[in-house]
Amino acid sequence: VIHLTALVLYIIAAALWLRSLLVGGGSRGAGLASGAVTAAVAFHAIALTLFVLEFRQLPLVGLGPALSTLALLLGVALLPLAMKGEVARVGIVVTPLIVVLQGAAMIVGVSNFPVVPGVQGAWFALHVVLALVGYQGLTLAFAAGVLYLIQFKELKSKRLGRLFRFIPPLASLDTMARVGLVVGFASMTLALAIGGAWAARYQGGVDWGNPKLAWAALSWIALGAPLAARSGKGARERRGAAVTVISFVAVVATYLLLRLTPAAGPGFL
Amino acid sequence: VALRSRDPGGETGPGTTDGGDSPDVHTFRPPSEMPLAVVGLSHHTAPVEVRERLVFDRPEAARALATLRAEAGIQEAVLLSTCNRTELYLFPEPDPEALSLARGILGRRAGTIHDLDQYLYRRGGEEAVRHLFLVSAGLDSMVLGEAEIQGQVREAFETAVAVRSEPPVVGPVLQRLFEMALSVGGRVRSETRVGEGTASVASVAVELAGKIFGSLKGRRVAVLGAGSTAERTVEALGRAGVRGVLVANRTRERAETLASMVGGEGFSLDDLTSVLRSADIVVSSTSSSEPILTRATLGRAFPRGVDRPLLLVDIALPRDVAPEVGELPNVFLYNVDDLGEIVDEHLQRRREALPAARRIVGEQEAEFFRWYLARGAGPVIRSLRDRAEMVRESETARLLRRLEHLSPEDRARVEEFSRRLLNKLLHDPTTRLRDGVVRGDGAELVGTVRYLYGLDAEETGEFPDLGPQQPRKGVE
Repeated sequence: VIHLTALVLYIIAAALWLRSLLVGGGSRGAGLASGAVTAAVAFHAIALTLFVLEFRQLPLVGLGPALSTLALLLGVALLPLAMKGEVARVGIVVTPLIVVLQGAAMIVGVSNFPVVPGVQGAWFALHVVLALVGYQGLTLAFAAGVLYLIQFKELKSKRLGRLFRFIPPLASLDTMARVGLVVGFASMTLALAIGGAWAARYQGGVDWGNPKLAWAALSWIALGAPLAARSGKGARERRGAAVTVISFVAVVATYLLLRLTPAAGPGFL
Repeated sequence: VALRSRDPGGETGPGTTDGGDSPDVHTFRPPSEMPLAVVGLSHHTAPVEVRERLVFDRPEAARALATLRAEAGIQEAVLLSTCNRTELYLFPEPDPEALSLARGILGRRAGTIHDLDQYLYRRGGEEAVRHLFLVSAGLDSMVLGEAEIQGQVREAFETAVAVRSEPPVVGPVLQRLFEMALSVGGRVRSETRVGEGTASVASVAVELAGKIFGSLKGRRVAVLGAGSTAERTVEALGRAGVRGVLVANRTRERAETLASMVGGEGFSLDDLTSVLRSADIVVSSTSSSEPILTRATLGRAFPRGVDRPLLLVDIALPRDVAPEVGELPNVFLYNVDDLGEIVDEHLQRRREALPAARRIVGEQEAEFFRWYLARGAGPVIRSLRDRAEMVRESETARLLRRLEHLSPEDRARVEEFSRRLLNKLLHDPTTRLRDGVVRGDGAELVGTVRYLYGLDAEETGEFPDLGPQQPRKGVE
């Protein structure tokens, strides 16, 4: 019930963001949406705390708990943005993604996962948390990137309509994307390093044929590529935003492809 | 006193307060003789040469109000003074002699009393209320829907409230009126699109810069050439936080002279590439017959391509910036037509929102009049409550003396019970009495209540003569 309450509040927040866009981005609408996100995060955190207390297990093992944790991390990332004026409006992209993640988590079930020997312990938890922070950074950078590209188009086409008024300034979006990518890339790098060390220690070496590894490598590249695209000459910010969006879509599409085909095998998340 | 009661056809703006523009949902009929008046002039009636002579700053406004109280004996007054209007709101409407003194205070400020009459207007009662609400909502402003006026109305009100005078210069009527005017402004801006978008070239430029750079603090603006629009744009950017103005002109000397006026640095147009490299925003308004900013110029300034956002605001005619410059990545080019179209579009959107805005004004007007009329029931209601409270206190005390065994908690409960009972018993009669007064049955109802409850007329005061009342749809 608490998970469902959180989901409903996230849906309300997404609807409020949409409404705020349609009525011209007034501060009252944004305040209500941020309030709904805060309430949703509070319920979500309670739900996952109860999960930990009930199952004596962090919500990191198994698809449902991992998706729900990622959704919570994204929700938590929105909270400080609520204090930063217009930047909070990335919520219009992030909250629907949270709804999808939390909805999917609830469909597959946020329940305990039989503990496999080796898939536990502090190093494993750190590996998963760092990877989730990496995806959190990529998702936030994606949200900022999408809005950057739309705002850029609005400014270039000289259409100063609802979208122009609602979407935060280019510079703010660029800063947010950069922070998301840098934090995400560092986290993902550490996660992969810890994962590799963990595999070498407990599994006798890295299984290079494991599709999970291919997806992890793709995720790492997806975080690094936009950073690389931001160097060089010309319109670096715009190029970075475009590559971020492509990278995010590639990561999600690859995941779904692996998940929905037998190629991934039974151990794939 | 030769004040006009209406503008002689001068108010042609969308927010005119002429009778024909009364809100279409004005279903509530106000008291026919509401003693409120506004005297003043505005951009509708007076040219800037006259308006600028009547601008009062805060201390001057406070002094003028104190003088009004001392010399004209006016009870309540607020002086609203902006670059587009100077208006005195007075309650109750003073007699002709006092009104003449009030006008004299404006005249003294203007310097030449003789000239002033032709620009002044006076509105009374319902029109004065509607006028203030339209003003506060920005519907009577030179630029429809502008938001600054609401802050100016607030400031005028606060200035009057702060005047040291006994009794205060702002009494219950003007306090309620101005609070409601500010509320009207808030509602109109939040519930309609009247305040949406920016409505001048300078403010569009600031809005664009804000959407590109976020905070404008520390950004640098380059001005190529000179002109009043460029100057206003730079001023507006300065207010938004832009620091560092680079002025480039054909001659360095002229550029330095202009730069010294805005606290910037002067350059010759020969140094254009270095100016471009240092600037985030370029406002161009030279009289050059050929574009001075071309792809080649930008290429020289940024050999590796424009590697950061650059806003070019070209307000020159003929244009200073070649159109193809706008195709460069990271360059946002807006010429005078683009900016004009944006302003027109915003103003059109604002005009479309006028009926909704007027509806809000009408609703708030009706609410103000309801409040105003209901005040008539105040003394008798107070008297009734005082009498009932006296009875409650004495009867409760008598009862409690007989029930000495009760604990302090139980005694408190008995007290609480008696209060609740009293409030419930009085709720309906007082509500109906207020409604009756608003409907126009005040004198009869007040007399009945006095008779039924044995209240003295001396105690309750005479019921005020609010003029003949008529049945009103709004409250029935």
